[in-house]
Amino acid sequence: MRVLDKKLLRTLWWSRGQSLAVAAVVLCGTACYIAIASAHSNLELTRSTYYAHYRFADFEIMLERAPLTSVFRLESLPGVRQVRGRIVEDVNVDLEGADEPRIGRIVSMPNRQEHVINDICLLEGRYFSEGNPNEVILSKRFAEANRLVLGDRIEASIDNKKHSLRIVGIALSPEYVYMIRSVQELVPNSERFGILWVPQEFAETALDMKEACNNIVGSVEDPEQLDAILERAEDMLKPYGVFAKVKGEDQISNRFISDEIKGLEVMAKIIPALFQGIAALVLLVLLNRMVRKERTEIGLLKAYGYSSLAVAFHYVKYALALSIAGSLAGFAVGQWLANGMIRMYVEFYDFPLLRSRVYFDILARSMAIGIGFSLLGALFAALRAMRIRPAESMRPEAPRYAHRTLLERVPALWRRLSFTWKMIGRNMSRNAFRSSLNAFGVMISSGILIMGFFSLDAMDYMLEFQFEVAQREDVKVSFQIERGKDALYEAARFDHVRYAEPLLQYPFEVRSEWRKKDVVVIGVPRGARLQRLINAKQEPVDVGATGLTLSDRLARDLGVGVGDTLTLKPLMGRITKERTLVVSQIVEQYLGSSAYMDFDALSRLLDEPFAANAVLLRVERGMERDLSRHLKDVPGVAAVEIKADSLKGLQDTIEMSAQISNTMNIVFAAVIAFAVIYNITAVSLAERQRELASLRVLGFTTQEVGRILYHENFALCIVGLILGIPFGAGICRLLVNAYDNELYRLPFHLDTGTFVTATVLSFFFVVLANLAVRRQIRKLDMVEVLKERE
Amino acid sequence: MTAQGLSIAGAAPKAVFRVEGVKKDYRMGEVTVSALREVTLEVYEGEFLVILGPSGSGKSTLLNIIGGIDTASEGRVWFRDDELSAYGESQLTQYRRHHIGFVFQFYNLMPNLTAEENVEMATEISRNPLPAREALRLVDLTERGAHFPSQLSGGEQQRVAIARAVAKQPEILLCDEPTGALDFTTGKIVLDVLNEINRSLGTTVIVITHNASIGDMAHRVVRMMDGHVRDITVNAKRKTASELDW
Ligand SMILES: Nc1ncnc2c1ncn2[C@@H]1O[C@H](COP(=O)(O)OP(=O)(O)OP(=O)(O)O)[C@@H](O)[C@H]1O
Ligand SMILES: [Mg+2]
Repeated sequence: MRVLDKKLLRTLWWSRGQSLAVAAVVLCGTACYIAIASAHSNLELTRSTYYAHYRFADFEIMLERAPLTSVFRLESLPGVRQVRGRIVEDVNVDLEGADEPRIGRIVSMPNRQEHVINDICLLEGRYFSEGNPNEVILSKRFAEANRLVLGDRIEASIDNKKHSLRIVGIALSPEYVYMIRSVQELVPNSERFGILWVPQEFAETALDMKEACNNIVGSVEDPEQLDAILERAEDMLKPYGVFAKVKGEDQISNRFISDEIKGLEVMAKIIPALFQGIAALVLLVLLNRMVRKERTEIGLLKAYGYSSLAVAFHYVKYALALSIAGSLAGFAVGQWLANGMIRMYVEFYDFPLLRSRVYFDILARSMAIGIGFSLLGALFAALRAMRIRPAESMRPEAPRYAHRTLLERVPALWRRLSFTWKMIGRNMSRNAFRSSLNAFGVMISSGILIMGFFSLDAMDYMLEFQFEVAQREDVKVSFQIERGKDALYEAARFDHVRYAEPLLQYPFEVRSEWRKKDVVVIGVPRGARLQRLINAKQEPVDVGATGLTLSDRLARDLGVGVGDTLTLKPLMGRITKERTLVVSQIVEQYLGSSAYMDFDALSRLLDEPFAANAVLLRVERGMERDLSRHLKDVPGVAAVEIKADSLKGLQDTIEMSAQISNTMNIVFAAVIAFAVIYNITAVSLAERQRELASLRVLGFTTQEVGRILYHENFALCIVGLILGIPFGAGICRLLVNAYDNELYRLPFHLDTGTFVTATVLSFFFVVLANLAVRRQIRKLDMVEVLKERE
Repeated sequence: MTAQGLSIAGAAPKAVFRVEGVKKDYRMGEVTVSALREVTLEVYEGEFLVILGPSGSGKSTLLNIIGGIDTASEGRVWFRDDELSAYGESQLTQYRRHHIGFVFQFYNLMPNLTAEENVEMATEISRNPLPAREALRLVDLTERGAHFPSQLSGGEQQRVAIARAVAKQPEILLCDEPTGALDFTTGKIVLDVLNEINRSLGTTVIVITHNASIGDMAHRVVRMMDGHVRDITVNAKRKTASELDW
């Protein structure tokens, strides 16, 4: 082995604490990158193959009722490749021994298996058999969660009739990878919602839809043409009451996956850059100090005939060694994390196949990123080493004049400082770069913490807003068709019901100039107590007798404000007349994006004095379940939802996933803060060994000596936090903007607790770094240090 | 051993330090280097003691053990009635803090602090400190208090170091080659300062040097060789720093 390489190994070993800390940052960067990039590739790849294999639809049209012949006409439209008309309907499902209502979504499939659009992937059992219409194929998780197996029977209540269906198969579908019933549910609840794939024949009879359908899915030749095609399709289907046209990209399940994939893509770019950048900066500090310290040695080596390049490369090799070691360890940890992430995705997404693979291109890329950054960090030191000339190096470096710091301009204050603080003040200003880097480390670290806690804060806030502030009912009863006042009175008369309020939802195409949106307009009674509207100031506002209230997202999408006029075109077949309405106010809404108007006014639009398709109920405490059991069997009732149940499931799921990601965030933040602070302090300690040892000689205790370093770190931690809190809030702002779509958006809300926790944790990381440094201060050998020449 | 050299004539000299059979070995793998091979010595209250000896004879090792920054491998060291060699790390720190002042060949000042602040630093931790200005006056550097070490000459830096050591009002001042890095004139000024401190404050001063003529200033001269005390001489008549022939 060459002498220089021996020296390298010895340096690595002697400064192993620091070497490890740098390698750990590289490790985190590599591991995160591999985990995130692998998850990204996995999700993307799995989704595209899955979609291709089972023909995920390019569009979906929901309508009231169209004859199947119209579907064939649709297929002949230019650019349309394949179309399928089907029957989709949410129904109540009765399971033995279950008192909570389950909602099953009936989705019709051809009687005989064909390669259709939005096909199913059979995992167990078989497809329907000829002549047995009462067969059902269940979605996998619903079956699992309710312990249903092949051969079991379930009861579906359709139009007040109970149908007993035999389970013949268990399947998945590309349409329901993220299985939620509506955006409001946010996360899957596999026990309470599932898909019931039934033969077309059964659906037609049970739902009284002979030769008809209420849902059309299709594929097109060229996705670019999709808008135009949908436009023409709508014209064609107008008589059948189209109430929603959904492009594949906006399909709920797909939307959630897309957002996840997009998020991963962004993170895969930011995270490694963050870690590797920090590693590079720390390397810069370490190597600069090393070159300065070894000036004479470098001069000697050159005097002996080593080339400048060879000497410079020696320092580059130090950086390379650390980044390669960190990368290699990162491969292992990254692969392990990737497995963990996949396991998490398996919790949420129903892919027939989701495995974590080793992507060699990702490994190679992460290694290249790590090495690239470490070279960047080593560059300065290498250049400095190259510039040292042998003759000069033998002379001591010109003394660096200490200069007066800003604080000293205020003598009254300066005089009052203890000498510890004077030393700290001067040291900070003398090593401004290092001090800034130290504060920067805390800033990044606290930013990561705040970002992590934010997701939980925002979710909590969103849930509270949605389920406590805006929706204040205990139970929601939906009807199959619009009902008159009697339905409200009937619901109010049920045992335990304390208060009832009607609700009317009706789809419209809302237009402002060239902008238009398909929107569900919700009719809310004036002075509503259960379905409240909340404005930007967080105050409840009344819906108002006239005009339309828009959610902020919808107002933005339509480019309108209060006072603007909108045209409403009814989407279902009941009524056809267009109306114009004035936007009367704008309210906050995080889940979905709706428009609201007075219940009576909306009823009148439908030419009815009173039309409700749902009733919201306030119920005596703890009686929800009892009530729901009775309501379920009332004719005309389509669904009964207990709010507390939905909320509970939501909270649990969110809590769980937030906990996982928060643990990771805390680890990352800790590694960054620790590595930066520990390394900088260790460098500072090495540089000031002599000073500090002579303090020990004077009779200062290790604690007193340490304080000079510790307090500096605490002071810089405060600076870092002062920067880190707005920095973290800024990242959250970016997240809010990134996750702002029609389905949901995040409220920009941070709890005070988040700042407190981030602050406490940051200080804790500083304490950890200080403790690590303390060991070195203890080991400071006074005799040895003072023997050396200055 | 008598103490005729001490100016406190008549009274029986009191020992500040008693060093009994002290050994110091450095084990380096297979090889053991003996820095001290059995040293027995007494240092008296208020005396000016000079230790002479060739390089490697163990002078610094002995001084460091006395000063509580190093420990003996064998033997015992007494500081007055306390056994120093039985002290633990934190007791040694307290001992140095309250009783000992150190001056080294290299000044070891805080480059970040001005001369005055360097002295203040010592006053902050001692029970009965000399005000920093006072200490600087002792070394005749009142004018340079606001300067940083890098703005002072070697001799001036050494005087700041002495002021720093003295500001704690230690009972013992240990100086390891305080003039080693200084020229003749500057060296004399520094020695003069040490002598003055010994005389006016009654501080026990131990000075290590290679320069045999400095021995003439001392009450007693200890000569070391190969980790032993070779001999101790008592000066009947002491010279002042300016009388020394360098
Ligand atoms: N850490 C150590 N490891 C090994 N040997 C040591 C160590 N420190 C000192 N020695 C040895 O102990 C012996 C005495 O050293 P010491 O520093 O006390 O000598 P000295 O008399 O002060 O010399 P000088 O006049 O050169 O300062 C020397 O031979 C030295 O090599
Ligand atoms: Mg010595």
